[in-house]
Parts: sequence; structure tokens; C-alpha cells
Amino acid sequence: MLSFIAKRLMSGVLLLVVVTSGTFFLAHAAVGDPTPGLLGNSATPAQQAALRARIGYDQPLLVQFWNWFSHAVTGDFGTSWRNFQPVNDQMALRVPVTLSVVVVATVLAAVVGVAVGIVCGLRPGGLLDRGLKLASVVLFALPGFWVSLVLVTWFAIELKWFPAIGYVSPDQSMTGWLRSITLPAVSLALGAIVMVAEQLRNGFLQVAGQDFVRTLRARGLSDRRVTAHVLRNASPAALTVLALLFVGLLGGAIVVEIVFNLPGIGSLTQSASQIGDIPVLLGLTAVTVVFVVIVNFLLDLVLGWVNPKVRDR
Amino acid sequence: MTRKRTSALVAAAVAAATALAGCTGAGGGGTAARTDVDELKAGVFLDVTSWDPASADIGFDGPYLSAVYDPLVALDKDGKPVPALATSWEWSADRLTLTADLKQGVSFEDGQKFDANAAVANIQHLKAGVRSGQAYLNVASATAKDDDTIEIKLSKRDDALLYQMGLGRSWMASPAAIRSGALANGPVGSGPYTYDKAGSTPQSQYVFTKKPNHWDTGTYPFPTVRLFPITDQTASFNAMLSGQLNVQFANAANLPKAKENGWNIASRAASWVGVQYADRTGAQVKALGDKRVRQAISYAFDAAGILNAVGNGSGTVANQVFSVDAQVYDKSMNDKYKTDMTKAKALLAEAGYPDGFTVKMPMSPIFAAWQPAANQTFGELGIKVEWQDMAMPDYQKNAPTYPMFLAVIALAGNDMATLTDQVTTAQWYNPTPSVDAYPEIKALVEQVEKAEPGPAQTELLKKLNAELVDEAWWSVWYQADNTYFSVKGITVTPVTGMMFPTLRFIQRG
Repeated sequence: MLSFIAKRLMSGVLLLVVVTSGTFFLAHAAVGDPTPGLLGNSATPAQQAALRARIGYDQPLLVQFWNWFSHAVTGDFGTSWRNFQPVNDQMALRVPVTLSVVVVATVLAAVVGVAVGIVCGLRPGGLLDRGLKLASVVLFALPGFWVSLVLVTWFAIELKWFPAIGYVSPDQSMTGWLRSITLPAVSLALGAIVMVAEQLRNGFLQVAGQDFVRTLRARGLSDRRVTAHVLRNASPAALTVLALLFVGLLGGAIVVEIVFNLPGIGSLTQSASQIGDIPVLLGLTAVTVVFVVIVNFLLDLVLGWVNPKVRDR
Repeated sequence: MTRKRTSALVAAAVAAATALAGCTGAGGGGTAARTDVDELKAGVFLDVTSWDPASADIGFDGPYLSAVYDPLVALDKDGKPVPALATSWEWSADRLTLTADLKQGVSFEDGQKFDANAAVANIQHLKAGVRSGQAYLNVASATAKDDDTIEIKLSKRDDALLYQMGLGRSWMASPAAIRSGALANGPVGSGPYTYDKAGSTPQSQYVFTKKPNHWDTGTYPFPTVRLFPITDQTASFNAMLSGQLNVQFANAANLPKAKENGWNIASRAASWVGVQYADRTGAQVKALGDKRVRQAISYAFDAAGILNAVGNGSGTVANQVFSVDAQVYDKSMNDKYKTDMTKAKALLAEAGYPDGFTVKMPMSPIFAAWQPAANQTFGELGIKVEWQDMAMPDYQKNAPTYPMFLAVIALAGNDMATLTDQVTTAQWYNPTPSVDAYPEIKALVEQVEKAEPGPAQTELLKKLNAELVDEAWWSVWYQADNTYFSVKGITVTPVTGMMFPTLRFIQRG
């Protein structure tokens, strides 16, 4: 088990280094001289040159890379080229917003999706199962922003149960935080719930038809225990989908961030890209990769626990 | 059993949601239903660029900076400079020296005193500023004459200086904070409100609390001000509908719904829309150096149609860059280029281009709404446009290198500022002013710049405006309005030149 964990950690670190390094060179190639975007077009050549010197942009690319990399490995992602605030401070403001929404959406998807998937697996062709099929068609066909807008119209504008925009930090108010992330999280979770439920339902039916289940029933095991065995064997596919969903939601959060005006990493990525704020882009890339690595690592651990054969691969 | 459990689950979920909805969160998640006017809750299109006045933008930074800083000079609703921390001023006979008296008894939030030395430190800081420096291009020096008097010497007469200062280029910050660079972390001013850092969520919501003893307290009626940067117009409108906002930078497409809700609607000319020429001498595309070609382009466009189709009818068809509210603006000139494709083609043929010509133009998503109209019109005229797609920051960076480009350019609320911004000074949107290449225009510009401010100068500006329109200096289609919605009990007074008015223009009533 220890070597399994060590291997996964090593590959995670390698992925982090490769992706962030690649992003560094790609971003520099794409942005070019960032000073007009950062200073506005009224800046004089002297002011642009001063900014280039201040941010180290006048140095050779490899020197810039080493300066960035040697600090990044210590967790220091430098300062924003736009406002000279530490990138870590900006991410500390933004990451919790996106994480709040994505984690709550993933938990919702897991809890509701698993519950619905089990019920549908137990009663294929039942009312809920038919509802799931309909929901999967409808929710996959509808664009995410439209679903968000419908939720805002009903629950924020008509019923006034939740705010239409904005984010409240849990430090300021726990209920305020919960209210501010409910609609965005539900918007993200709706499609994910259907995906998890569909996956689990199909896996459940597939496993339920296998010989060992008939044997278990023949040995007189209760329905509950048989269901537990089936669930354990059907869960890896659903778990993988859930992990992929978390990563997907992290990337797709920008839509709900726009609709609900949330100051998350999606909108920060967008604004940093527009003005060519490369240190912020690199910091955000690193954080996103870390999340992906952590989620995949946890997934591998859980899959290893569910199916010990996985550990040997 | 299952149905019962499901019902119970649904009931529990609804109960939880209702209970949650009943809780009033702090800040942004607050009361949605009330449309009270105890506090100002304004949706601003963009986030604050910087708390340092030297690095801030004029466009949408006004409401943020006006909460925490006092200006030396303010503007009234018509763009006329009015006293603020500078209580009065006087120009020398040659208009190269400005002497200003300053208010006494004002302190910054860090305890530093506002006096002549502080004002001088601020002007020097603003002059060196990357964004603010443009307003102080002609300022040679600023000195403290005594504790409450400063003298600003100009290297060249600048009749737009006080306007630019009032527009948002004379916010006074603590000199100690300027020296230490603390303004990058937050404002240190003497303004009517204190920035509530703990209660704010940067980039989402900024909260300001009114100072009880501010010298101009009567101008600021709201005990609390909350500013929400919201770029997405749908999100902003939803927030207005839900009651989270009581003032909004609005999309004119929502006017019917705003009327339905009984909101106050305020609009004013904010920018001109059309074609900007960067090559009026024909250095890149010879045809554009010919006045008849530029006139042909002006005749070709159906400005009223574009205003209705793309601009939601929110604006005024005009062919001038002087704001429709300006003294210099001449309504009668708007018929000069009444849409006439036959005349446009004849002018093009007369200029030697009966089959048109080819030109490269930049395009970015922000201008895509106008691209079909431009394509159709240029196509009918025989001008073949090769569009080069790029992102908006690249558009600003690269558009000046093209011979002409589609433009939405902010108007100024002051005639002399219009002359400087749109005609004589190189800007990203006016990279090659080319005034020297047109002797009649150059002569008029010189006369305007030497004339005594007042009726004589205005008359000369009118002549210059007529000449510019005749030269088809730009192909202006219309002047677009900025629109603001506010709930009953709050009024917004738009000011041309400010994309979002400063807080003194948002009042109860």
C-alpha cells in the first residue's frame, strides 16, 4: 500500500511540474509584451520599460523561468503584474469561493446521485427510473447557464429565498455563505447528479445479473446484504465519474461564477488571461493541478480499498 | 413506504430551504425583498482598477474612489469644474499659472493633515502616474506657496486641466501612503466614507460607512454604500430585480422591464460609435487620404438603422464627437451625411475608386455586433475589408496600426477636453492626429487654443467642428447613451465623461 501511495504521489508531482512549466512557456508565447495590457495604452515607452524591469520581463526567458520556478517550489507564486499583490493572497480570496461551490455540488451529486442510482437499480423501469432517463436527456440538452438563470428567476427573483448574486464568506456569516452558494452549487450539481445516478444504476444492473449474486441469494443472504455486495462491485465506475465530475466542475464553474457574479478562480483566470497577468495564471494553473492530483489520488485510494487488485497496477 | 420517505425528504428539504431563506446573511446575501433606500447598493460594470488614484481608471473607478477620497476639483452635472478641496482658483493672464486656495482642517484616515504640501505631493504623484499622467501632460511644476495655497505652472496652456482634475484625476491621498506604497493595499484618503475592509469581499462587494463629520456630509445621503462590480448584464439585472441592488449600470434592452417595475431611468450620451481613421494622410491606404473617400463612407452607413438594431435605440444619431449636450454640438449638421449610397458611390468614383479598394481592419468580439452592418455597407460600396480577429486587449494594442477600425470611444463632457482627446493628442484610438497635414484644421485649432475661454472660444470650436465634419474626420454613426436604473427614492444624474457617476451624483429623491 505504501509503495502504491508513493507512486501516485510521485506521478502527481511530476504532472504538476510538467503542466506548470508548459503553461509558463505557452503563456509567454501567447501574451507577448504584457505592458500595454497592464498599463493601458496611454502609458509612455519609458513607463512600459520601467514596468518590464520591475516584473523582470526584460530578462531572458529561461532566467525568468528559473526565478519563477525556484520560488514556486517553496509555495511562493510571486506578485500579480496588474496590482503587485501577492498571487497567494489573491488565490486565498478566490479559491475558497470556487471550492465552496464545486465541493458542495460534488457532495450533492454524490449523495443524491447514489441514492437515485440505487433506487433505479433496484427497480429498473420504475417511476424514478423513467424519471431519471427523462432528466438525463433534458439536463444534458439544456445549457448550464440556462439552468442557472431559471433557478435565479424562481428562487431569487420570484421567491426571494436566495440571493441572485454575490458570495458571503463563512467567516462573515455561515448562513449567508450557505445561501450564497446554494443556487450556484445546485446549478452545477443537477447535471452531475444525473450522470452519477445513471452510472451507478447501469453498473448496479450489470453486477446484479452476475453469477456470484445468484449464488449469494442461493445461500440465503438478505436483500440488504446482497445489495451491499452489488453496490461495492458497481461503485468503481461511479466513483471514477464522480472524480472526473469534480475536475470538470472546477473547469465549468466559470459559467456559474458569471451568472451569480461570484469572485472565483474562473473569473480571475479570465481577467488574468485578458490582461496578460502571467504570475496569476501560473498560480491558478498550479492550484488547479494540485486539486486534480489530490482528487485522483483520493480516488485511487478509495478504488484500492474497494478493489485491492487495483493497488498492484 | 418509499413514497412516504420521499415526501418526508422533500418536506425536509423545503423546510431547510425556507429556514435558510429566512436567515439574513451579512453582506451580499442580505435582504432581497426590500427596495429600501437606507443604503446605496449599486451594481457597477467593472471592479476598481486600483485604490491608488495614479493607477486608477476614470471610466468605472469613480464610484469607488469618490467614496474614500476627496478631489481637489469636482464637476457639476454639466461637466463644469466646481470647488472641492480647492475652494477657489485663479488663472494668470497668460493662463500658464493656476493658483488654488485649499480647504483647511481636513485630515486623511492615517491622521496626516491635508495642506499645500500634501496637495503638491499628490499632483506630483498623479503626474508620474501611468494612467493619471495623461491629464497632467502640460503641468511643469506644482509648488506650495503657503500652508493652504498651491501654484501649478504649465509648460503649455491647457484649458481642459480643471475638467480632467474634476473628472477623476485629482483624488487626494495621504502623502505618507503615497511614499510607502500603501495605496496598493487599500485607500488612505479623506473622503466621505470609510472603507469597511472586514465587511467587504474584494472583487465581489465593497462596503463603505459614512463618516459622521466629513466636511461635505450633506452631499452624501447614504449611511452605507455597497458597490458590487458586476460585468455580466444579466446577473446585474437579476440582482436589481431581486432587490439586492437599488442602482444599476443598465442595458438599454431592459428598458421595458424597468418601466414595468416603476424604476427611475437616467440616460446620457457617453460614447460615440463609428469608424475611426488612423490614416487620414493615406500613408497606408492612399484612398483614405482623400476627403471624398471618407465622405463616401459617411454617406454609406445607415446610422439610424444601426442605432436601432445594435444600440437598442439608446442614443442619438450624430456625426460629431462633441457630445449632444455640448455648446459646440450643432444638430443641424447631422443631415450632412444622410444615408445615400448612390452619392457615396459617386464620391468614391470621383475620387478615382469606382471599384472600391481593399483595407485591413481589426475585429474583436466586443465589436462583433457592428460587424455585419459594417460588412454589408463596405461591401455595397465596393470596399473589401479583410478582418483580422483578435482579443480585446490586442485590439487596443493593435488597432492603431490599422488604417481604420470600428470604434466605441468615450465622449468628454468638456469642449476643450474633446478637442484634446479626439483631435490633437495622440491616444490609442487616435494614434496619428494628422492635424499638421490639414492646414485649415491646424489654423483653427491654433485659434481655439489661443482664444479667451468663453463665447469667443466656443464660436471658434463650432467652426472647427464644422470643418472636421466636412473633412469626415471620423465616420460617426451615433452617440450611445449610458443608462442607469434606480429604485424609486434614488436618483442618478449621469455625467458625460464618467462611465459611472461618482457618488455625489447619486442622491435620494
